[in-house]
Amino acid sequence: MSLILKNVSKKFGYKLAVDNLSLTFTKPGVYGLLGTNGAGKTTTIRMLLGIINKDKGQITWNNKEVNRKSVNFGYLPEERGIYPKTIIKNQLMYFAKLKGMSKLKAEEAIKYWAKILEVEEYLDMTAEKLSKGNQQKIQFMTALLHDPELIVLDEPFSGLDPVNTEIIKNIIIDLVQKGKYIIMSAHQMLTIEEFCSDILILNKGKTILQGNLKEIKNTYKANRLEIDVNQDISKIIKDLKLEIEIVKNNQYKIRINNEEQAHKLLTKVMENKIKVNKFEIQKPTLNDIFIEKVGETK
Amino acid sequence: MKDILTVSEFTLKEMLRRKSFIISTIIMMILIVLGFNIPNIIKIFSNDNELYAGSKILVTDNDNIFEGKLENLNKEELGYNIMVKNSSFKEIKKNIENNKIEAGIIVEKNDNTINFRYIVNDTMAMMPEDLSKALEDLYTNIQISKLNLREEQIKQITPEFTTVVEQTEEVKGNTLVITLLSCLLFYAIYFCAYQVSSSITTEKTSKIMETLVTSTSPRTIVIGKTIGIGLGGLIQMVILLLTAVLSANLFLDKAALKLVLTSTQISPINAILMFIFFILGYYLFALIYALTGSTVSKPEDIQAANTPVAFIAIAGFYLSQSIISTPVGGLTTLACLCPISSPFAMPFRVMMGLSSWQEIILSLIILIITILIVAHIAIKIYSNAILNYGAKTSFKDLIKLYKAK
Repeated sequence: MSLILKNVSKKFGYKLAVDNLSLTFTKPGVYGLLGTNGAGKTTTIRMLLGIINKDKGQITWNNKEVNRKSVNFGYLPEERGIYPKTIIKNQLMYFAKLKGMSKLKAEEAIKYWAKILEVEEYLDMTAEKLSKGNQQKIQFMTALLHDPELIVLDEPFSGLDPVNTEIIKNIIIDLVQKGKYIIMSAHQMLTIEEFCSDILILNKGKTILQGNLKEIKNTYKANRLEIDVNQDISKIIKDLKLEIEIVKNNQYKIRINNEEQAHKLLTKVMENKIKVNKFEIQKPTLNDIFIEKVGETK
Repeated sequence: MKDILTVSEFTLKEMLRRKSFIISTIIMMILIVLGFNIPNIIKIFSNDNELYAGSKILVTDNDNIFEGKLENLNKEELGYNIMVKNSSFKEIKKNIENNKIEAGIIVEKNDNTINFRYIVNDTMAMMPEDLSKALEDLYTNIQISKLNLREEQIKQITPEFTTVVEQTEEVKGNTLVITLLSCLLFYAIYFCAYQVSSSITTEKTSKIMETLVTSTSPRTIVIGKTIGIGLGGLIQMVILLLTAVLSANLFLDKAALKLVLTSTQISPINAILMFIFFILGYYLFALIYALTGSTVSKPEDIQAANTPVAFIAIAGFYLSQSIISTPVGGLTTLACLCPISSPFAMPFRVMMGLSSWQEIILSLIILIITILIVAHIAIKIYSNAILNYGAKTSFKDLIKLYKAK
């Protein structure tokens, strides 16, 4: 199974929303779609779901052209929405039927996912009586009920408390293990780093970075040192002409240009017989890479 | 097709389950029952002093103007118990207060004028028309009898005058009933079609549309939704009609009911035509409302977006009313052929017996072609507008949305 987008473009009036985007997703896993607001993520998602037509290019799933009729993907949109005055069970059944499920299969799937997402007690209630987090879990169910092979999750964790975030995270891990293809768009870079093997960063419709996340990070040198000591070392840091990013309770985050600067600092600290609790040379985070890449294009 | 059924089934179930639908149906049922009970209600609240069959009326002719012949009034079968006695105003008043009589009449003559002073215990009461006419006739007859005329001569100078209105075309049916049915049809079509707009706006503003359009096509949503709401409206109309029929049978005078039904000329063909025009008229306005509903991003904008459609519908309705005021003429022909008015006009023109089959078929063809054109435009704009959130949509934007891929 594979999802391939080849030179896909979309214009709205004079505005180029997506410019010549290409993407290949050939192994089960999570593919991260990143970008600032208005970068073209939602337009890309809508095109690959067949909701809107592309102007140029090709989108195929299993070598078949994607259109509204040919695909049956699961989708959790960024804009959350469920029928406020409709019984939860009825609206889940409605969406399951529209996805081609029989009543019996839909009932089984609703029962199964309600148990996993811990929303069984809300099935006979109207949506307006549910908390935002629970409404989000219900919408997550509509994306998964029909057991789709490819699932698009747009900001799946926004607005969720830590307990519910953990539930959704476990489900995503489980789905990947079952061989599902997931495209995830999120603003929290930590989430993307946690799940995604491959990423694509968009800015103003253009692809500014794309590829395997590990390989991308390997191309970057270490740029940060995290050191936790039992007394103030700010004078030593200043003597070595290093820049402190954050300091809290003698835990320092320091900007470095190479690993040698970090080793020099450690030597000085040891010479002063200061106890070191933590010493970690870090490569740039996805957040750093994102800010750097988006900044470059401005 | 399966998806269309799923959408319409869901829409219908949701519509029937909604509190606003249940409450509005119950309120309308109550209003219908009350409407058919108006004569009974009036009877309950009517003043006890009002004259009824057997009411005692004391007539006083102190000046002997009627030459002692006032007793003849009891031969006129007016239904009142007329008592003739010379009395003063005070005596009559006392008798009314003591409930001995219901009313009193003092006959007086001033120059050439004869006054009837109607004395009653109710400021709003009027002297019964039949009684005053009977008094006038009695006086005239007394005076004529003095002329010693033959019966033929009397008939010649006192003929009965009647007025009969005849139209250039023979119009069947009761125009009042036709106007009421036309209003009912307009209300049914307009109410149901408006629901489509609000339903689509709700889906759009509650952001459910994004999930919905990935599950099925916009065309399926529009068609399924309009069918579902149309069926809901039809169910409501059937409930209201049944309430009306039941109330008419229970509360109305049987003879009056029979008269109305016979004069209405509702044949099975008329009923079928009304049904067909209801479906087509509903579909035309529902599709226009689907279009306007899809262009709204905020619930508060729905009213403004729907106003032009309301104007079109009301213009169509007023145009349709020309079939009642002037059943023959250019305006009526226009009302029967113009798609915005034909659903409210054509069934009733048929009911009035003024329409040929050719006219009916032509009207239906024009309406169906208009619906197909509107459906094409509405579905195209709907498909492009439902995921479009932002500022209010102008007419220029609508053209852009229509042209968009």
